[in-house]
Amino acid sequence: MVNGYKPTTLQEAVEIKSRVSVTPYAGGTDLMVRNIPDAVYLFLNDIDELRQITQDDAYIRIGAAVTFTQALDSDLVPPLMKEAISRIAAPAIRNAGTFGGNLGNASDKADSVLAGFALDGRVRLVSAKGERVIPFDDFCVRRGVTNIADDELIAEILLPKEKCALPYYYKKIGGRSALAISRVAFAGAYEVHNGVIQAISATVIGEGKFTRYREVEATLIGKSVDEVSANADAYAERFIEKMTFTRGRVSAEYRKTVVTNLFKDYFASMK
Amino acid sequence: MNGIHFRLNGKDTCYDGSAADRLLDVLRDTYDMKSVKCGCKEGECGACAVLIDGVLVNSCCVAMGAVDAHEIVTVEGYRETARFAALSKAFADLSAVQCGFCIPGMILAAEALLSKNAHPTEEEVRTALSGNICRCTGYNAIVNAVLNAAKEGDGLW
Ligand SMILES: Cc1cc2nc3c(=O)[nH]c(=O)nc-3n(C[C@H](O)[C@H](O)[C@H](O)COP(=O)(O)OP(=O)(O)OC[C@H]3O[C@@H](n4cnc5c(N)ncnc54)[C@H](O)[C@@H]3O)c2cc1C
Ligand code: FES
Ligand code: FES
Repeated sequence: MVNGYKPTTLQEAVEIKSRVSVTPYAGGTDLMVRNIPDAVYLFLNDIDELRQITQDDAYIRIGAAVTFTQALDSDLVPPLMKEAISRIAAPAIRNAGTFGGNLGNASDKADSVLAGFALDGRVRLVSAKGERVIPFDDFCVRRGVTNIADDELIAEILLPKEKCALPYYYKKIGGRSALAISRVAFAGAYEVHNGVIQAISATVIGEGKFTRYREVEATLIGKSVDEVSANADAYAERFIEKMTFTRGRVSAEYRKTVVTNLFKDYFASMK
Repeated sequence: MNGIHFRLNGKDTCYDGSAADRLLDVLRDTYDMKSVKCGCKEGECGACAVLIDGVLVNSCCVAMGAVDAHEIVTVEGYRETARFAALSKAFADLSAVQCGFCIPGMILAAEALLSKNAHPTEEEVRTALSGNICRCTGYNAIVNAVLNAAKEGDGLW
């Protein structure tokens, strides 16, 4: 094949990646729009082991080359993730676009990455030398930059099962109903026992980067859920004061207002 | 094994060009499949949609290497089928075609839907066509044509 490699196993793929300069290609929905001149692609779309959705005791495991359509048809994928990916683009893009591509593209608007953040997801990276598993927080450095080494490929995303089962909140706000990139989106999951918050996540698209304000989240643990939902404004403010909003397609003030409203709605909806 | 081997409308085909070439361009320029339209090259319009292994994909977002060992269907192949005849009749009956530019993509999006769900609701049809932009018809006639094809072509899907 001219200008391309098409391995059928992950082992073969990482060996090629360690030897030659290639661009991993999964669904092509970001790469082909970017249109890289003289690209040499490492095609991952026919590697079976990257196309599986499985589970073990601790995790739901989604292969890097699993498409959004495939995940929407699976009983293993948690509802928060399904809701986020069901709003991506339109069928033809969901049929091709993958979880590995959504992460690898390093966009600050990646909908599956937002859900992965809220669910304490992890990324399994594999190279010819070995593998490592790191939290989404460590993988996504900032817009356009990830923590992947030159010789590594994304193999799987891992979603902790105990998080997948929690009540959750998700909203995406785009410019139109189909084919809308998130202007703002919000994902959160929480655990309540006897009216007391045991665990909580809250994360947004709209800040220009993916972040969990874990130290702020921690201040809600041990609070009564009634108290938090009755004082949603004040609790929202704890997060908002840590955030910085910049102008993109929409103004910084718009983003801030919408994110604030979504935090309030999240806390008010908790039970 | 050199070249990229795939099936195009039922025929074994070997492409000797670059694996990075865009499927949309290759279909139009090398294989003369002019039903596949180019409206944006950004995945936004659906005019370039084809079926790969029966699944709807925008061919502007596909590099040739990805289709090695896969099966591609465009309207040039699909139009030989009874399913196409049912869709074509329904589109004609309801005047669902104006300039026609979006229609090959609409037809294949309809096929992709009906092959999974032979009796869709209107909402399901709208979702299935949501990646296909039409600047002429206002969509309602196309949606009704797909619903009609499903009804009148009952048993075909
Ligand atoms: C019209 C349109 C609408 C869209 N709407 C949305 C939307 O609403 N929300 C959203 O989140 N995204 C959206 N996208 C973006 C895109 O579809 C997603 O980011 C998708 O998940 C990309 O996956 P892919 O497999 O097509 O990636 P590819 O294009 O194949 O790859 C993307 C990047 O990831 C790298 N990569 C891929 N797989 C791996 C791997 N296993 N290991 C290491 N690196 C890898 C590639 O090298 C490349 O840099 C849209 C795209 C289009 C064209
Ligand atoms: S040309 Fe491919 S989606 Fe518009
Ligand atoms: S009929 Fe003209 S674009 Fe649809």
